[in-house]
Amino acid sequence: MGKGLPSYTDAEFVAAIRQGDDRALAQLYRLHLPMVLHLIQQNSGTEDEAKDVYQEGVMVFYEKVRDGSLELSCQIKTYLYAVCRRLWLKRLAEKNRFGGSLSDHEPYLETGAEQDLLDAQERDRRFAMMGEALERIGEPCRSLLEGFYLLDKSMQELTAEFGYTNADNAKNQKYKCLVRLKKLFFTHYQEEESF
Amino acid sequence: MKTEADYYALFEAYRADELAAPARQELERRLAADPSFAQQLTDFDLLNGTLRGYGERLRTRRKLQAFQATLDAEATAEETYQTGNPLMPTMHISGIERTLREFWGSHRATIAVAASVAIMAVFGTLLGIEWWKAAQKPAPTYGYTMLRREVERIKRTQRAMNRAITQIDETKAEDINPGKFSGTGFALSPNGYLVTSYHVIQGADSLLVESRTHDHYHAEPVFTDVARDLAILRIVDKDFHGFGRLPYSFKRTTADLGERVYTLGYPREDLVFNDGSLSARSGFEGDTGFYQISIPVNPGNSGGPVLDDRGNLIGIVSGKQSDVQSAAFATKSSYLTRLVDSLQTATVSHDITLPRTNLLTGTSRPQQIRKLQNYVFVVKVYE
Repeated sequence: MGKGLPSYTDAEFVAAIRQGDDRALAQLYRLHLPMVLHLIQQNSGTEDEAKDVYQEGVMVFYEKVRDGSLELSCQIKTYLYAVCRRLWLKRLAEKNRFGGSLSDHEPYLETGAEQDLLDAQERDRRFAMMGEALERIGEPCRSLLEGFYLLDKSMQELTAEFGYTNADNAKNQKYKCLVRLKKLFFTHYQEEESF
Repeated sequence: MKTEADYYALFEAYRADELAAPARQELERRLAADPSFAQQLTDFDLLNGTLRGYGERLRTRRKLQAFQATLDAEATAEETYQTGNPLMPTMHISGIERTLREFWGSHRATIAVAASVAIMAVFGTLLGIEWWKAAQKPAPTYGYTMLRREVERIKRTQRAMNRAITQIDETKAEDINPGKFSGTGFALSPNGYLVTSYHVIQGADSLLVESRTHDHYHAEPVFTDVARDLAILRIVDKDFHGFGRLPYSFKRTTADLGERVYTLGYPREDLVFNDGSLSARSGFEGDTGFYQISIPVNPGNSGGPVLDDRGNLIGIVSGKQSDVQSAAFATKSSYLTRLVDSLQTATVSHDITLPRTNLLTGTSRPQQIRKLQNYVFVVKVYE
């Protein structure tokens, strides 16, 4: 890169990202973007679609790393390529423009990426339902839960923001909201599950 | 009785490891004893985990988008820096051209491969056909040369001659397709049957017979004998009324060694006479179907008649041995007469009457030739 950015080996990348090092993540992001851009633009995709797919692919990788469940049997580059390739195939199939095969410019290997993607899809489904449940729970539960879990605010901040008399009150309110969210979430979750 | 919300507080503390030891043991004991309570904890874990994961996901997405924004900004900044001058002329590409460029960009490898395959296929086919044609031709017998004339080879000379003629009398020379090969042929019976060598008409699409007086007739092969190198042709033109009485006769027996023989033929555009002796009663490599004669023959002589002093036809010129001085070969006339006889008995459609009397006996050679020359023809072969 030659821009004074630190360079990492694959193992260092994984270690740094697991510890939540955003610089490493940014560096990784920057490193493999051109490869995926090329892949997708070669296969009837636009630049924006490529960036979209790439972000999704990096997300899969990132969550596996944070999870600690990543079993990397190849280079990160190959892993990302496999994930993005799979994602793009899926999108093409959805767009009904898929002609049967992609023209690969990187060696395409069977990596653990396929299984990881299935896991990621399952997770996506759960997150989507959680988002929906949050939409339907109503105020002030929604703001409270979003504040705590999604925006990473502390109970003290939330207490002040929502005008509770003390942190315990706010906590109690949060637990009540959780119970309601649980009902909303699980009715959906189990409905979907039964399909 | 505690509400579910209270249990959640308990669970959260338990997961955060904030419970005092007695309380934790109490909880764990209850979890072990009560499956529905344990299920509540599982649900709580799933809910909590999903919520945290969801939060993490949203934060990561924002992070990645920020990275992308940074990269985009860098790219823009770099471009500005590199071009330096914002008023640099930009190339305006129309929509169609952009589509074409994108198409070319993404498919040029495929196109290149397709083009090379096409080129290889074309050349492969052409070469294959050439090779196949060459393979179809009979392997030339070593040292044996068949004497049909390749007209193409002397075309250039002819063109030069035509040019010369044009310069002389300023009239345009007749542009006749000279055919691909030519040989000599002679009359077999008065009603339009001719003899020539098989190799002259080999592979012919159409045959044209031309007399000394430049009368053209279309002919078709009636019978061929590859082994003896003989072909019998018939003139098929409607305005053909027969040759008239043939002056020579066909010898049914074998001629003697040392007999003085001569031939007439068309190795060039004009009738050419050559003479010599009968040197052997067998042909190339001891083939008894042929004579060896010491007449200098050239490509185009093939199919020409070989006559003895008394005007008997004794053979048909076929080829020569290129590595031996003056060794030409001619098919024996006895085979021709036998062939005609068998044709007569086998089919009724062909009425070939061989001449019985000989008008040449006892006349001098120039007189013989004067009578003979009207019965010797050029056989032109078109492929």
